[in-house]
Amino acid sequence: MRSLLCALIALSLTAASASAGFFDSLQKLSKPDSKEGQYLSGATQLLSSSKDVDYKTERIIGESLALEGLQRFGNPVKNESLQQYVNLVGNAVAGNSKRTTIPYQFAVLDSPVQNAFAVPGGVIFVSRALVSILEDESELAAVLAHEVGHVAGKHALKSTQRAQFFQGVGTITAASVGGDKGKKFASAIGDMQAVLFDKGLDKDMEFEADLAAMESTYRTGYDPSAMIRVLQKLQKLEASSTNKKGSWFSTHPPLAERIARLQNQLQKYPDYSSLASVRDRFSKHAIAGK
Amino acid sequence: MRITRSLARSMSAAALLLLVAITAVAEEKRWVSSEGTTLKAEASASSEDVSDVKVGTEVSVIESGGRWLKVRTTAGKEGWVYAGRVSETPPASEVAGDDGGLFGASLQKSQINTAKADSARSIRGLSPEATKYAKDRGTPEMYKKSLDIVLARKVSPNELKAFLKEGKIGEYAQVHGGEK
Repeated sequence: MRSLLCALIALSLTAASASAGFFDSLQKLSKPDSKEGQYLSGATQLLSSSKDVDYKTERIIGESLALEGLQRFGNPVKNESLQQYVNLVGNAVAGNSKRTTIPYQFAVLDSPVQNAFAVPGGVIFVSRALVSILEDESELAAVLAHEVGHVAGKHALKSTQRAQFFQGVGTITAASVGGDKGKKFASAIGDMQAVLFDKGLDKDMEFEADLAAMESTYRTGYDPSAMIRVLQKLQKLEASSTNKKGSWFSTHPPLAERIARLQNQLQKYPDYSSLASVRDRFSKHAIAGK
Repeated sequence: MRITRSLARSMSAAALLLLVAITAVAEEKRWVSSEGTTLKAEASASSEDVSDVKVGTEVSVIESGGRWLKVRTTAGKEGWVYAGRVSETPPASEVAGDDGGLFGASLQKSQINTAKADSARSIRGLSPEATKYAKDRGTPEMYKKSLDIVLARKVSPNELKAFLKEGKIGEYAQVHGGEK
């Protein structure tokens, strides 16, 4: 009887885990420790939300940083079809990210440096040069999903000590962008520029965004190994490149380490190779960006 | 006889435990985590729509079939959903305005606020605050105009569905996966 009970308990456990399936394994990735832990962190987040930077403020910070980014990397490529295409791919993965309730906008910038960056609030830029080394839609989706991961994790906001300035200020108004407060605001934006465009985000944030990219692309239905392929392409370029300033090489942790972590993670998606990569549609739109 | 009775008792205990196990499976909870999720009559994107479900909606899994799950909402609606559209934990809520609030109410309110902010933005473009920042910093007009255009760009849920369908992506993939 005892062994029968043991067998039944084992059976019930097997039944429960079998029902979980492939998709659950990826869903568990976003789970820190336990279900209880999630509820607790969710509740804490909500209770402390009034002290956090609100969305309007986050968006103003993002728009200000975006203005700086355009001046540094160049204006958007003048090709409406390509810009619309990038917005469709970006919104497809953003809809399956950890933060779906804010609007996202994407643009390809006319820059010869292989780079992509996101500003707080959901504006995401990818350079013409980075698009030009990609081979299919799943790779573009991976790059955009990585940047969505930064927005969802509020990584840029967390990357400067002066973010405390924003926390104290509550909702930013035109008045707090002017005068003495304005100087502080501009200085905080300056700090964040240095992080986003020069120093790079904390390497744990990059790993987190890589994993988030794999998860969002997989959940959307794109081949999640695309993120690895993009990094491998960058690795090849890095080996032959002398000027790495401002590119994904200089602003991210070592590519070999990122690739190794993602390859390990790929085991969680045993059916990855059966998912979409969409080469033809990408080629049709991306030619103009080259 | 005693052996038979004991066996019968064991078997009913086994049946009971199995039932508990099956019920536990049947009552697994999921939360809708993707925008534009629709319950379908069958495990296929081309089947009839049952109901649109909002992000944050709690569902119970009643059947699993490959990448599709048959679910029931707390309101009693049943249908199939693409598994990538639900997750094991509730999605993080977004507080879009300066009003706090807890759980469901907050999530719903924030979605409305975000939608409002979004539709207002499409008319307004660059915020007055960022416009002031640009003026103070002497940002050239061309960059303000460029960002205005970027911020005004929108993708509707229908455009997104058509795009995924055309690419045979996710729930629109063929049986053996999408276009490779």
